[in-house]
Amino acid sequence: MAHEIVEAPLAGKILQIHVRVGDRVAEGDTLCTLEALKMENAIVAPISGTVKEIRISPGQAIKAGEPMIVIES
Amino acid sequence: MQIFYKKKEDLYKELHQERERILKMGDPAVLEKRKKSGQLNARERLEYLFDNGEYTEIGMHIKHRTVHFGMDKAQIPAEGVITAFGRVNGRLVVAFSEDYSAMAGTFGEYHGFKETYAIQFAMDKGLPVIGMNDSAGARLQEGIDTLEAYGKLFRVQTLASGVIPQIALLLGPCLGGQAYHPVMQDFLIQTRDTGFLGIAGPAFVKTQIGEEITLEELCGWKAHAIKSGQTHIVAADDRDAIDKAKELLSFLPSNNRERPPRIQTHDPLDRSIPELDEIVPDEPFKPFDMKRVIRAVVDDGYFFEIMEHHAKNVITGFARFGGRPVGIWANQPLWAAGAIDIDAADKGARFIRFCDLFNIPIVTFVDCGGYMIGSQQEWAGILRHGAKLLFAWANATVPLISIIVRKSYAGAHYGMLDKSIGADFVFAWPTARITIVGAETAASVIFAREIRESQNPEETRAKRIQEFGELYENPYRAAERGCVDDIIMPHQTRKYINRALDLLENKFVPPGTCPWKIWKKYDNINL
Repeated sequence: MAHEIVEAPLAGKILQIHVRVGDRVAEGDTLCTLEALKMENAIVAPISGTVKEIRISPGQAIKAGEPMIVIES
Repeated sequence: MQIFYKKKEDLYKELHQERERILKMGDPAVLEKRKKSGQLNARERLEYLFDNGEYTEIGMHIKHRTVHFGMDKAQIPAEGVITAFGRVNGRLVVAFSEDYSAMAGTFGEYHGFKETYAIQFAMDKGLPVIGMNDSAGARLQEGIDTLEAYGKLFRVQTLASGVIPQIALLLGPCLGGQAYHPVMQDFLIQTRDTGFLGIAGPAFVKTQIGEEITLEELCGWKAHAIKSGQTHIVAADDRDAIDKAKELLSFLPSNNRERPPRIQTHDPLDRSIPELDEIVPDEPFKPFDMKRVIRAVVDDGYFFEIMEHHAKNVITGFARFGGRPVGIWANQPLWAAGAIDIDAADKGARFIRFCDLFNIPIVTFVDCGGYMIGSQQEWAGILRHGAKLLFAWANATVPLISIIVRKSYAGAHYGMLDKSIGADFVFAWPTARITIVGAETAASVIFAREIRESQNPEETRAKRIQEFGELYENPYRAAERGCVDDIIMPHQTRKYINRALDLLENKFVPPGTCPWKIWKKYDNINL
């Protein structure tokens, strides 16, 4: 079992979360959308696995490097 | 007294035995362990590198001269590093391969001498050099002799930098000051489970600063391919690493006096690419995958990416147009909006300078809102790092072509390559937005007072943004000033790049004869 913590690549605002805890995701699937630098950045799953934890909510401001979603493979 | 002369047959036998001893390499237990783990040994690696497994070894009999700590009795076949030359896909290449079975491949005076000699030889003869690193580190028994040998190696490889391509394979450990050796070369290819690079290993880190960390975490591929940006290419194992070195070599000339090798291609030079007309979203805040653009326009969709895992907001790599190798520099809007941050600037500047040193034309694909801002980047020195890109472009003498796909704002306009900093050709898609700053920012500055004093500030603001955007957020203002040579349909991109490269064929500037540069040692780039 490996955990992968998906961190915010840059500071911004969470627009939308596309997954729920327990969802199966494949590598490259969009997990959430982060608005930053006037761009809607799609944050994708770095590995295939199950969404273990979601630490963000829509509308939330987030700093670069903050953990957002945990995936367990 | 009668003098006894050895017979020829005994001399030949002696040579045969001596060669056998050296070719058998070092500790059989180490060799066996390596074999079981699936790693190649130092000689197998050279055989895998060179055509038909054939290479000419130089300096196989070289031996250390230390007597302290029992070293006078130490047998270290080939002094722990095999130096050789041979052909790689028909081209002559110099290589050296550290032998972990021979006193753990430790680096001493004559081990260092062999590596230094190989690089000097390669530089004198104008041949690429490939170094295979697999060593437990400095041979401490040799004291100052080991210490000085490093300095000599660093000096020679620095003198050879920019004369011949230098590729480092990290197939085993390379820790301590020795790790500067591969880092100072042009490209570093690291194996996933066996290659380790670091200024100090975990034990030293623990005793000196109290940090507890594993070797994998501190020095493994993720540490350098993702975080530090010192590893350019990650390989699954020894064979994969050597294959990737050969692939990389296929894009490079043997030295800075040659052009990179052009190959035949059946991909039509004027191939139309209709799907590119659809790729840029109508909304400027929606990202798209720039790698799709790159793969669509280059020969046969073949793109050899460099530093794929580090600073993913920008893309660097090699491809071909009409069979000619080119360097690609692009933004990746899918990652951090394709902005240029510190890591991105470093990644791009060194790549641009490498291409320029070795006569490789550069093509850029631009969608960049600017350099990254904010306290973290400001205090870490985004300006001095971003400046490296400007130095790199202003100095470049190779053909430079820029394709502006979408945003080209502010400092990023030069950082991604434009006419004012040195581009030969700039083509913009109709989706391009080339201006000093985005409309929202511009309107809020120019019309700050008007907006503030307006009956309906939001409406005034929106109106002014619209107005500025319509005037400036397009490719036409730049084209009116000649900053854009033409506005082209996306599907015509490949044709325009190929034509431009044809026209620029004779831009080639022999080293030291660049007409617009006066004599100087070098410029004071913001390192």
